[in-house]
Order: sequence, then C-alpha cells, then structure tokens
Amino acid sequence: MLPGVSEVTDALAVRAKGLRFAYRRNQWVIRDVDLQVPRGQICAVLGPSGAGKSTLLRLLAGLLHPQQGIVEVLGADIHNHLPATIRRRIGYIPQQLGLIRSRTALENVLMGALGRLGGLGPLLGLFPKEEVERARSLLSALGIEDKAHEKAFRLSGGERQRVAIGRALMQEPLVIMADEFVSDLDLPLAAEILGKMRQLVHQKGLSLVVNMHELPLVREYVDIAIVLKQGQIIFSGPAQELTWSLLEEARR
Amino acid sequence: MRRSVLLIKKNEALLWGAVALLLILALREVGLFEVDRLWRGLHNLAIFAKDTVPPDLDVLPLAGRALWETIEMAFAGTLLGFVVSLPMGMMGARNISPWPLVVGVRLLVAIARTIPSLLWAVLFVIMVGLGPLAGTLGLALYTVGYLGKIYAELFEGVDPEVLEALKGVGASRLHLARFAVWPESANAALSQLLFMLEYNVRASSILGFAGAGGIGFYISLYLQVLDYQRLATLLLLILGLTLTLDVASAWLRERYLLQG
Repeated sequence: MLPGVSEVTDALAVRAKGLRFAYRRNQWVIRDVDLQVPRGQICAVLGPSGAGKSTLLRLLAGLLHPQQGIVEVLGADIHNHLPATIRRRIGYIPQQLGLIRSRTALENVLMGALGRLGGLGPLLGLFPKEEVERARSLLSALGIEDKAHEKAFRLSGGERQRVAIGRALMQEPLVIMADEFVSDLDLPLAAEILGKMRQLVHQKGLSLVVNMHELPLVREYVDIAIVLKQGQIIFSGPAQELTWSLLEEARR
Repeated sequence: MRRSVLLIKKNEALLWGAVALLLILALREVGLFEVDRLWRGLHNLAIFAKDTVPPDLDVLPLAGRALWETIEMAFAGTLLGFVVSLPMGMMGARNISPWPLVVGVRLLVAIARTIPSLLWAVLFVIMVGLGPLAGTLGLALYTVGYLGKIYAELFEGVDPEVLEALKGVGASRLHLARFAVWPESANAALSQLLFMLEYNVRASSILGFAGAGGIGFYISLYLQVLDYQRLATLLLLILGLTLTLDVASAWLRERYLLQG
C-alpha cells in the first residue's frame, strides 16, 4: 500500500454519475454515462472512433468540465476544489503522450515528480537525488534504462510509451487515465506493456482507466470494460463477457 | 471551337483588380510617375556617387572606434531586451497565463513596439544624456516590443498535450514555462534572437543621428558637411559588418538551431 492512501481506501477509484458533455450547444458527445472503477482494477473503454472515448477520459481526468453529472476520483470531486494532494496522484497520459521532445527520457520521467516538489530547485534544473534514483529505477523496471539519456524525439514508439508510463508512475499515482496508450504498438509489445501495468496495478492497488481497441488484449489483461456508442454506454461489466458482436453493435 | 473556361472566380478577379488600382493610385500620389523628377534624381545620384570616390580611409581609426561602440550597443540592447522579453512572452501567452495578465502585457509590448528605437533613443537621450547608454536602452525597449510579441505567439504554439500532461502531474505555471514551453520553443526563440541582433546592429548605426552613441553621429556629421568621401568609408564599414553578421548568424543557425 502506498503511503498516504489509507484515508481513501474505502472510496471507489473512479466514480462518474450522469455525465453529459457537449463541445457545442446541445450536440451531446457524452450522454448519461455512469461508471465505477474499484481500486486495484483496470477498466477499458471501447468503441469506434468518434464514440466519445477520448472525451470521456478527459472528463474523468478533470481536463474537461461536464455540463451535467459529477466525477469523483478517490471520493473527491475532480472538478471542484480537488485537493492538490489528490490532483498530483492522478496520472494522465494523453493520446500522443505529451512528452517534451527535446528532453531526455530520464528528464521526462522526472517531470512526474513536479507536483510534490516545491521551491526553486527544479526550476534551476536541480532534482533531489532520491527522485532521480526513483526515475532511474522506473526506467529500468520498464526495460529502457539504457535510453535514460536519449532525447525523447529519438526514441521509438514503444520506448516513448514507456517513458510516458514512467512519468505517470513517478507521480506515485493512485489512478492513471491513459488515452489509447497501447494502440500505436504492435500486439506483442502492447501485451508486454499491459502485462507490466497489470502487475503494478495489482501490486500497488492503483487503478487504470484506458481507451483500447483490441478485444484479445482486453479479455486477457483488463478487469472491467465499457463500450461506448455515440456517447452512450451499451455495455458495462466484466471484460471476459465482452464479445465481438457487442463491438460490432457499437459500430453500427 | 473550344470554349475557354474562366478559372479565376469573379470575386477573386475583382479583388486583384482593386489591389492593382490602389497600387497605381498610391504610386502616382507619391510621384513615381513624374518622369523628369526621376530623371533629375538619377542625375543627382550620379553626382553623389562621383563625389564618394575614392573613399577617404584616413577616417578609419575614428570610424572603427565608433563602429565598435555601435556593435556594443547592439549586443547590450539585444541581450537586455531578450532578458525582459522572455518573461513578457510567457506572461503574454494565453496557454499558460491568466487572461488579465495576457491583456496587460500585450498592451505594454504593443506600446514598446509602436515607437521605433530611434525615437526611444531620443527619449533616453533626454533622460540619461548623450551617449551609448541612451542608444542601448532604446534598442532594448524596441527589442522587448518585437520579441515580446513573437515569443508570446511562439509559446502559444507549444503542443497542448505536453502542457496537459504536466498540468495533470500538478505542475505550477512556472514549471510549465520552464519545462514545457521553453524547451519546446527554445530553438525558434534563439533563431528569432539572432534576427533581432542583426536588425539591431543595422538600427543602432543610425542612433547616433539623435546623439545616442555609435557610428551614426559621424554619418550625420559628414552628411551635413557634404564630406561624401568620408561618408563612403563609414557606409562601407557598415556594409561589411552587416554581411559578416549575416554569414555568422546563418552559420550559427545551421550549426546549432536547425537540428531536431
């Protein structure tokens, strides 16, 4: 168990109720979405492109504000006075990963510590030794310690993915929201990374909400799944019960 | 018989027609179509050109010192302006700063840009007296006006996902500026800085007209006493400096700023 977690152990990792969201007036992209992700579980969001997966993730991460409904992460309303202590332990991995191209893998992972580091040190490029060590050990746990000093734009797709995961883990996260974070990878690599994440999720009791496409991966690595069709949930339940025909249904 | 098809739309044709008409009217207004006046102008130019040869090289030691002062002013002014422009650019960028700050900073920067460095120099001559300090401050202020705007726009172009990712971590605005905005736009920003330096070297060579230091003082002096042979030497020196700087900054850009 991570330090400082005890006070929120009873709460669900993520709970959304009655979410409605529109970018333009009355053109609902998300309609009446309810969602519950227990701690220590992986939840996959599926659906064809345009179904609202990315929008939902951004709502859950607090980057967009819903017109109706609420999102609670670890029992706290993410859109209203979210305590900084919880904010900095919610990891968000954008679709294109959002790495700083001109900085090294190690520096990008270190960015995950910014939320808990105050003062002038980081602004002058000085990070506490134990944080640097932690970043290094994350890189080696993710199997890319030899790339620590390579600039992000020189890394391959899979390596960049791991750096982004490393940055999220550096936050000592309780919840990670990842927008399609294995979709650009080939299947074996995606499986390897998902396997690693699953291990971490179960070991550390954190939770993961991730947008995905690949049914076999979902069935093997994910605990619960929801399927979106035009912004509405048409399936919500154990990932093992997910079928091709359901995904087909979402596409029609 | 084949019919030709009009590919240009009617509106487009009208627009271009209007532009051409305006251009012709404007040129007529300023007197470009007064042939005998232009002819006289060419004649005068020939006389002036004849008077400049051979350039008087006796003036070189004096001109060299003045040119050095010009370069110093340009460097100091550009650097001073750059140091101020960086935070101004950050505060003027809508993606990391609150809007009241953005509006205020952009207004200040616009004011600094509206007034050319020569006029700023005049103002500073009044404030701090004759000499290169006035020129340096004038250049610095104009630099803030120019770079402050360019940088704000450059910083706004940073990939929003990088900012989102760091905001999600709980990073502060200063963190965003230091770790996302600056590294992602540093190359372009330094490239603009080089352009600014080139511009300021050219601009600083006339600041002496206002008594604000540098080679401009002697240019205006020799113009007034009609000593075109000495004037020619000064102009050649400035030409040499400009060309050298062009080559140097092109090399720097190629060598350090274009990679990645």
